[in-house]
Amino acid sequence: MRYPLNVTVNGLRASADVEPHRSLLSVLREEIGLTGPKEGCDDSECGACMVLLDGEPVNACSYLALQTDGRAVTTVEGVAPADGLHPIQRELLAAGGVQCGFCTPGIVMSAKALLDRNPDCDEDDVRHALAGNLCRCTGYQKIIAAVLRAARQPEHGPADRP
Amino acid sequence: MSRYFAPGNAAEAAELLRTTPGARVVAGGTDLVVAARGGKHPLPEVLVALHRVPELARVRETEAGIILGALTTHTWVERSGLVRSRWSALADAAAMIGSPATRSTGTIGGNLMNASPAMDLGSPLLVLDATVELRRTGGTRALTVAELLAGPGRTTAAPDELLSSVRIPAPVPGTGSAYIRLEHRRAMEIAIVGAAAALRFDSRGEIVAARLALTAAAPVCLRVPAAEAGLLGRRLDAEALAAAGRAAVAAVRPISDVRASADYRRAMTAVVVARALTLAARRAAAGSSVPGPDHPPTATGSVQ
Amino acid sequence: MTGTTSVLGQRFVRRDGPEKVTGEARYTADLAFTGLLHAKFVYAGRAHARIVAIDTTEAARMPGVHAVLTQADAPLVRYGMFVKDRTLFAHEVVRFEAEIVAAVAADTPERAAAAAAAVRVEYEDLPAVLDVDAALSPAAPVLHPDWLDYRTQDGVLRAPNDCGHMTSVKGDVDAGFAEAELQLTETYCSDMAHAVPIEPHAVVAQWQGEKVTIWTTSQVPFPARAGVAETLQIPQSNVRIVVPHLGGGFGGKCDFHFEAHVALLARATRRPVRLVFSRREEFLATDKVRHAARIELTTGVKRDGTITARRARLLLDSGAYCGDALFATEIGLMMVAGPYRVPNLYAEVHTVYTNRTPAGSVRAPGGPQTCWAVEQHTDELARLVGLDPLEFRRRNLVRAGDTGQTGQRFVSSSAQRCLDRAAELAGWPGTDLAEGEALGVAVGWWFSLSVPSGAYLKLNPDGTGTIITGAQENGSGSVMGLALLAAEELGMRPEAFSILYQDTDAGPFDIGSAGSQTTFNNGRAVMEAAREVREKLLALAAERLEIHQRDLELVDGSVRVKGAPTRSIPLAEIAAGAQLIGSGSGTPPPLPEHDLTGCGGRLGYSAFAAPSFFCHIARVRVDRETGVVSVPEVVAVHEFGRVLNPLGAQGQVEGGVIQSVGMALLEGSQYDGGHQLNPGLLGYKLVTAPDAPTVTVDFLDDAVDQGGPHGAKAVGEPPVVGTPAAIGNAIAAATGTRVRALPMNAERVWTALHRPSAGAVTAGGEA
Repeated sequence: MRYPLNVTVNGLRASADVEPHRSLLSVLREEIGLTGPKEGCDDSECGACMVLLDGEPVNACSYLALQTDGRAVTTVEGVAPADGLHPIQRELLAAGGVQCGFCTPGIVMSAKALLDRNPDCDEDDVRHALAGNLCRCTGYQKIIAAVLRAARQPEHGPADRP
Repeated sequence: MSRYFAPGNAAEAAELLRTTPGARVVAGGTDLVVAARGGKHPLPEVLVALHRVPELARVRETEAGIILGALTTHTWVERSGLVRSRWSALADAAAMIGSPATRSTGTIGGNLMNASPAMDLGSPLLVLDATVELRRTGGTRALTVAELLAGPGRTTAAPDELLSSVRIPAPVPGTGSAYIRLEHRRAMEIAIVGAAAALRFDSRGEIVAARLALTAAAPVCLRVPAAEAGLLGRRLDAEALAAAGRAAVAAVRPISDVRASADYRRAMTAVVVARALTLAARRAAAGSSVPGPDHPPTATGSVQ
Repeated sequence: MTGTTSVLGQRFVRRDGPEKVTGEARYTADLAFTGLLHAKFVYAGRAHARIVAIDTTEAARMPGVHAVLTQADAPLVRYGMFVKDRTLFAHEVVRFEAEIVAAVAADTPERAAAAAAAVRVEYEDLPAVLDVDAALSPAAPVLHPDWLDYRTQDGVLRAPNDCGHMTSVKGDVDAGFAEAELQLTETYCSDMAHAVPIEPHAVVAQWQGEKVTIWTTSQVPFPARAGVAETLQIPQSNVRIVVPHLGGGFGGKCDFHFEAHVALLARATRRPVRLVFSRREEFLATDKVRHAARIELTTGVKRDGTITARRARLLLDSGAYCGDALFATEIGLMMVAGPYRVPNLYAEVHTVYTNRTPAGSVRAPGGPQTCWAVEQHTDELARLVGLDPLEFRRRNLVRAGDTGQTGQRFVSSSAQRCLDRAAELAGWPGTDLAEGEALGVAVGWWFSLSVPSGAYLKLNPDGTGTIITGAQENGSGSVMGLALLAAEELGMRPEAFSILYQDTDAGPFDIGSAGSQTTFNNGRAVMEAAREVREKLLALAAERLEIHQRDLELVDGSVRVKGAPTRSIPLAEIAAGAQLIGSGSGTPPPLPEHDLTGCGGRLGYSAFAAPSFFCHIARVRVDRETGVVSVPEVVAVHEFGRVLNPLGAQGQVEGGVIQSVGMALLEGSQYDGGHQLNPGLLGYKLVTAPDAPTVTVDFLDDAVDQGGPHGAKAVGEPPVVGTPAAIGNAIAAATGTRVRALPMNAERVWTALHRPSAGAVTAGGEA
């Protein structure tokens, strides 16, 4: 049986008819057409699927799509302002915090969740905010440096909120 | 054909559980959905999603203690200054569950009803004398956490009962509590073993109240009455720590699995017990509060 | 030198970066196709069995199912890089739990999974061989009874249950031991480990006429093309492999395998078919794991610390098939002497069949385990003769003019300088360490793989450029960095180049992102292509400016007259009216001279071309009560010749060190019978951000150019080789006890400390 889902994704209203067992990730990727969030594991361990649900980080792979009905989801596609990149994205590039890029969308979202709440963060805060995002390429060091640099910039406010 | 309901109040949720065979509630899904995706067991045919039930998310503080609605997230607990200062062991445990995403979606009710022997909240709630309220159509009942937990993945709640809240009594002033977990990594972990302790001392430094409970050391999280009794009336010196550790080791029934052997778990039980007691005592002396940082003090390499 | 400022050695933002941070970058599983079907494999689920019958009728009748295939539907071709020992689907026998028995294509992933579950297979279980000792025992069942009929690459020596053995001999080992005053025998064991790219395998295949296009998560598109052509018995020109963005590989996406299964399903259904692995499949079925190993070492030394002789025996668990495992065996063999003067050596390695997941070329195959064992042994030798670990190493490290274990003459050696610099950065011997902390050191060497490669380069009418290469970008940035080399030749900015890559119909043959070879080989090819364009540019500009070519230079996107910067022509002006096309293949530098007298078997790495050296020093903290080890810092000093892209090279070292911290402390597959017990990311633990140590990186130069572009050497693999060894030595220094199994997890450290009889130290003694 399918149920109607109405959800705001990156500021736009989206709707789909979905089965109860469908994950938010599969609906985002297959129904709404956003492939930024990735599927990297079966059990919320890798964080490649990270999105924000009403501003809090959520593993989209393990969250029931129907539970987002009437709520606001932000994916990596909704982070950058129209005219450029979010400071987290810019600093990740400059610091060399991107290699294969598969974990990057999830890293951006976890970092955004942190900076939106606590722009005054220190290195330990960043490390713990990224605890649920596995990166196999970079060793995290350049990612952590990038997030700390982004935090020091005034403009990292949420781009998806009107 | 699987079905889905998202009731708007607790009465409606309870009624759905009563009238719909096979219905199970889902809160954040961090256990239920993750287990299904990992292939452990399929999702229930009928899902009753609770996220639209505001009364289950309510937190009430009273003279007698605090009542945490079942939907209270680990993130809320971890960030609550009140919980950190009065029920420190619970804040310790909430702060070390999974990742920020797990904590922002996972709930106290879900953690309890999933009834994993390795649940981090289990032993803190035991030492804090928490009770749960189970609600069904036509009535509620209160159980202690020990009465709720029946075995791995099993509770004594009936299929039509909904866990609505967790009540934690206000600690007697001067009580300190702590939860210590042994783990392989500093994050994203399941306890190898964990211990929670709550202690209160008299003016001579002797223990007048003691609670000790263990996580991941037996089929359910359990208290260790023998160790508690042995601590009363003495100072928390090396000998007392060792005795409590021996009593705990005698009480455990650890398993061997991919995380550790039973032999190692048994030996580590004594270690986490000693460390939990020591930290609880330090907090009792300092007027009971979790030290500042957001991050648990009990990570790999910092369990000491 | 073509410009006033070199772009080499400068910070550089990779071209594929912006689309990766915005989520626009498309990986294989992100691609959309009209009429797409979904593939699901049926796995054996048992370690070793004879197939009695396969019944696909029920599965084939299920709704939405378009095809159910078994080996009966595929050509009976045995394939394999070194030993042709396997078929696409199980043929008569299954030899590990995730052997593919059948494959389904259906209109949804759920229906494909349901149909896969409905395939009925009747098995007769056979005795399983689950470790190397059991496999080499004379009574062991032979896992490949027809092994003598298998075809192999030249030089591969085999035995029953041994798909490749070889020996490395130097000097007179008996005489060497006779000369020794002390000797030490030790055995070290490592668990099987995984590459664990965060992107799981995915393949999409689509036929049009006789030609199949395959989008796949391959590190090696050209070998994958050859594999599909071989197993489907079609010409390579009918197979086009395209790799969209690749979400990491680390060797786990080398060799070839699933592309052919998906192509068969697509051919049978005449529809595009997609396979996407779950993480569980990634652990069980990827069949490209890091070998479990047993390493036995005996070394003779004089009391002054001089090594006189070594005997070594390596047993690598290859699992059910050989795959590309001989890379690991051959390289492991070359690591047993370490970067030390070992005048007399006898070493043998065996690649052993068992009923486990097949092993292969995970990043630095054979390296970390062997370096770990050899460097633990080195510290124990130092202890035996009463020398500080650094001093013992200084007395034995190779120097310029020395010969290595296969007689290779070192034209230079930075081993000693790496050691000294790392010691300085780490503050050896660690006077300001906290309680429970200690330092540990490891030194090692690695090679630059010298193989053919090719590239085209063209200038566009607006003065930008395009590089067309067969090289494969696995995420490391090595292909992105090719723009630096082109820019340097042409006086342009690296950002002015687009790169067309990982499409077998476009680029010249390349072995792929394997062996850290991209910059070393494709870099030379790109330079050669750019030089051809440069010659054409200069000739045209010389004509226009009426001046001799030798008086021109390429600077800032224009051709100008030396010493008269106002007399210049923008490249766009020349490129708009001319075909400026170049190609290059770059001649691979020859292997250093060496001597294989007395050696046996296929020695694919008989000498290390353009060898590089490194020293890692780890600071660890050991909780003696629990055995929990944390690593606050790793110092990693590498000599890579000339570092062309420092940000990229640092990223390789930092990432490699963190990967190998995982290998050191956390990562290992556990088995029960023939089944992996921890095929998921909770049970198989990677290092997380809160665990990751600070990595202090430094690079040293080699004064001698050993044939790489601008003197560069291979960067990708060496960073993972030394850290487990350094951590092991630090644990031993902190505890006084040595852990002889990898990973050195908390329970193993605790057991070594508190149950010493369970893992007894093999004592050294008088010779």
